[in-house]
Amino acid sequence: MGIDIATAKKIIKAGIQQARKMGNLCSVAVVDDRGFLVALHRMDRAPIPTVDIARDKAWTAATFRMSSSEIVKFGDPAAPGYGFNTQNGNDRLTTIPGGLPITDGNEVIGGVGVSGGTPEDDVAVCRAGLAAVFAAD
Amino acid sequence: MEEVTLEIAEKMLEAAERWAALAGYPSSIAVVDKAGAVIAVHRMDGAGPMTTDISINKAFSAVYAGAPTLMLARMIDPRTAGETLGSGGLGLLTQARLRLMFIPGGNPIRNDEMKVIGGIGCSGVPDGVGEISDTTVVQAGYAAIYEEYD
Repeated sequence: MGIDIATAKKIIKAGIQQARKMGNLCSVAVVDDRGFLVALHRMDRAPIPTVDIARDKAWTAATFRMSSSEIVKFGDPAAPGYGFNTQNGNDRLTTIPGGLPITDGNEVIGGVGVSGGTPEDDVAVCRAGLAAVFAAD
Repeated sequence: MEEVTLEIAEKMLEAAERWAALAGYPSSIAVVDKAGAVIAVHRMDGAGPMTTDISINKAFSAVYAGAPTLMLARMIDPRTAGETLGSGGLGLLTQARLRLMFIPGGNPIRNDEMKVIGGIGCSGVPDGVGEISDTTVVQAGYAAIYEEYD
């Protein structure tokens, strides 16, 4: 079951609020459980490439069902799986932190991706977005 | 007005979504800036996944061409061959890294001085079925700017 547009908008709104508080200019993207884009907002004057980077992070988090920073473990030459980043069929795979899966119970229903600040800031913006929607859980 | 802000883009999307809902077709609607870069895009519940990229590319194309994608559709229409771009119209197909859209539903956003400051695109409402089409939806979005600033 994929995320709906109303929830996606709430996540983005809360995320942008957090980014503004931190003084960052960000794009925030939400994709559904299949990795397809549901909604994306770019703050005024945020750099243009943040649009695609945010979307890529959300895609990576949703389809691998793990945060985009965890993908880094597959890039370690000493570990099995090294080189899998070259199997990137649709050019969306990214290992930059700032993408988190959106889970409802045990089920991944989508992903949120943020680009515009440092990777740590971006993760904080993701978390703020998710906290606004799933605070009651 | 010199540029489209996120706030204005959200208002445009809201109005456009209302019209798409009225037509009964869940759609994607995108607003881009004067560089053709996405400011905001929404895919309504039930709209097909391809509609997001199509709406983004329609908005981009409208900015890039400085004209509605309806006009781009005319330029490659075999029925009007030679009337607009001579016989070379098909050369448009491969432009902009294949991002140019030739389907109606993308309009440039112009300010009072007729300068292109952005674009809006919609995908999901079929053309020629009801009274509302993708083009109607983006025009509704465009009108929302003036609801706000009159």
